[in-house]
Amino acid sequence: MKLLYKLSAGSIFFLLLLSCYNAFSQAADKGTLSIGLNYFVNNNQVQYLTAKVKTKVNGKFQNVGGIALKLFLNKDSAGNLIEKVITNEQGEATSMIPAGMSKLWKASVKHTFLASFYGDKKFDAATGDLTVGRAKILIDAGSDKTVTASVFEMKDTSWAPVKGVDVVLAVRRLGADLPINEKPTFTTDSTGKASGDFKRDSIPGDAKGNIILVAKIVDNDQYGNLSIEKKVPWGGKFVPVNLFNERTLFATRAKAPIWLILMATSIIIAVWGVLIMLVLNLFRIRKLAKEA
Amino acid sequence: MENSSLTIEKPMKSDALHEAPISAADEQIIQDLLPRKFTKSGWVWTGILMAICLVGAFAYYRQLRYGLAVTHMRDYVSWGIYISNFVFFVAISLVGSLITAVFRLAGVKWGAPLTRIAEMIAVAAIIFASIIIIVDMGSPERFYNLFLYGRIQSPIIWDVIVIATYFVISLLLLYYPLLPDIKILLGFKERSGARLYKFYSFLGSFWKGSHKQYLLSKKAINVLCIAIIPVAFTIHTVTSWLFATTYRPGWDSTNFGAYFIAGAFLVGAGSVVVAMYVFRRWYHLEKYITLNHFDKMGRMLVLLSLLYLYFNVNEFLTPFFKMKESESAYLKDLFTGSFAPVFWFAILTGIILPIIILVFKQGRRPLPMFIVGIMVVVGAWFKRYLIVTPTLLHPFMPMHDVPAMYRRYFPSWEEWAITMGSLAGAILIITLLCRIFPIIPIQETITERHHETTV
Repeated sequence: MKLLYKLSAGSIFFLLLLSCYNAFSQAADKGTLSIGLNYFVNNNQVQYLTAKVKTKVNGKFQNVGGIALKLFLNKDSAGNLIEKVITNEQGEATSMIPAGMSKLWKASVKHTFLASFYGDKKFDAATGDLTVGRAKILIDAGSDKTVTASVFEMKDTSWAPVKGVDVVLAVRRLGADLPINEKPTFTTDSTGKASGDFKRDSIPGDAKGNIILVAKIVDNDQYGNLSIEKKVPWGGKFVPVNLFNERTLFATRAKAPIWLILMATSIIIAVWGVLIMLVLNLFRIRKLAKEA
Repeated sequence: MENSSLTIEKPMKSDALHEAPISAADEQIIQDLLPRKFTKSGWVWTGILMAICLVGAFAYYRQLRYGLAVTHMRDYVSWGIYISNFVFFVAISLVGSLITAVFRLAGVKWGAPLTRIAEMIAVAAIIFASIIIIVDMGSPERFYNLFLYGRIQSPIIWDVIVIATYFVISLLLLYYPLLPDIKILLGFKERSGARLYKFYSFLGSFWKGSHKQYLLSKKAINVLCIAIIPVAFTIHTVTSWLFATTYRPGWDSTNFGAYFIAGAFLVGAGSVVVAMYVFRRWYHLEKYITLNHFDKMGRMLVLLSLLYLYFNVNEFLTPFFKMKESESAYLKDLFTGSFAPVFWFAILTGIILPIIILVFKQGRRPLPMFIVGIMVVVGAWFKRYLIVTPTLLHPFMPMHDVPAMYRRYFPSWEEWAITMGSLAGAILIITLLCRIFPIIPIQETITERHHETTV
């Protein structure tokens, strides 16, 4: 009887296991995408959008590549299409806002960018949006090495200064931007201006000592990302040292260092001199045989 | 005795020699040590070696015709089995300086019967080290460009110079001590045959064994023994610098020169042990290569294995302890990954087991010594493979957008055939040298015996 109970319990357990397996074998649900948009303006001229597409897998966000997005200005219609883009391996896509949309852009002080994905076999349709106000940033460098950024926004038909915006004042370097002093950001006052003293005197510039100052607003909820550059002669003159034609260990044969040539040659002469002497020694031994 | 006018050089008190009629004991030594014609098995052995060489030559013909594309070397593993083999040959050639020069300068008398074996191995190894590097170049007709346009700043040029130098020194060190033996060989015209007799005459008919000739020869051998040591150290150090002067995981080491020299001493001594056993058994040289020789070579192998083990610990323990991000993939692949079986085989077979076996007196008997010698040589060959290939498969910059075959390396049949052909070729040279010249220096053996009897 006990055996019967055990068999029954085992069968139930097995059936439960099968049902679980069956549950797992259900067609997987489509994934959900999250689309993030960012707006950039460089030097108040070049406007572009970036889209970032992610999905959640096991509680963690993962970038999704190969997603076809349509980017629109203000509304999802053919006349407002900015561009069709496809995300790369990092789930990113970039689109320049075409000059042909300037009329539409100037028609309002605020705009909404839309990104639409219409769904595929793996993911459901998704949209993303971003609303930004029209703004511009200016940069000025004083003779006393003061850097001033001015931020304006479009109100009705004219530019008005904006108070309380965080601005980064920095020097453009190869890898990243270096703040002009120890303060990471500066906040605009009622005139829309933010100033800081340049304290990077020893920084190397180009051959003429020029460096590039940059003022930028980063990830601002109202205006997006704005940046502007200005070249100033505040850096040290960079004199490139080109060893290409010098005598170095990495130069061509004709440009080997003298010390190396002397050292190598003297060792070779010394060793081969001994060897030649030993070969000649054989002739001496041969000669001795004749004498004998 | 074929030539009744034959005399040998006997030592006087002044360490010079004088001509003396041959005694029965000397006659026995000469008969024992004269080179012998191949028996049937000798011809079979030579035939097998030649067949392997021919297969290698055919593979090389294919490489010349179709280019290096017939190999499996690609963008990442651009130094494959050829360079491993080159390093192996360079390492094994060090034995000439160890047995001949170091022993002679240190006054180690028991090593005298082994000097010629060591020099023959050294010459054969260095010849094939040079050949295999030309094979690796792909276009041998461009070899002269190395001399026309080679940069003196490059370790590759240093290697070319030092290999040529070492080859000449090894040849001279083989040739000078041969002169008195050639005089003896010339006394056995019928036994040698006309061709060999002519060859012997060409090589050493001028050697009369006069006091002045003896002094000049002795001086030259001493100079060669002194010269070969720094050159031998240089050849191995420079070969190690071919790797260590590049910035790569596994090669970026200041330890490399000493590590290579220690490994070379070990594999060289291992190869001599193998040759000792084979020649002793084949030519019945038990009276000349004695149990005492095996015992002492065994002790030396233990010492050299411990030394090499020490350098291996240095080479791998410190990077393993740090496990730098850039080197971790390489080290993990070596210790526990795809190269682990070969790595642990090389370490166990080539270093650790020889120490364990040879520490015991029973382990230093001829047969165990022979087996250990083979283990050391085989382990050393794989060790060279491990020095070259895993590093090339783990560059600092990740491999991107390359065909899958670039990410791994296993030699093509042409590479195997050429490599085996080169190994067979080196053994063939040793075989032929043994057919032509005495394996154990005859004159030196007689002189030593006379010394022993007078003392």
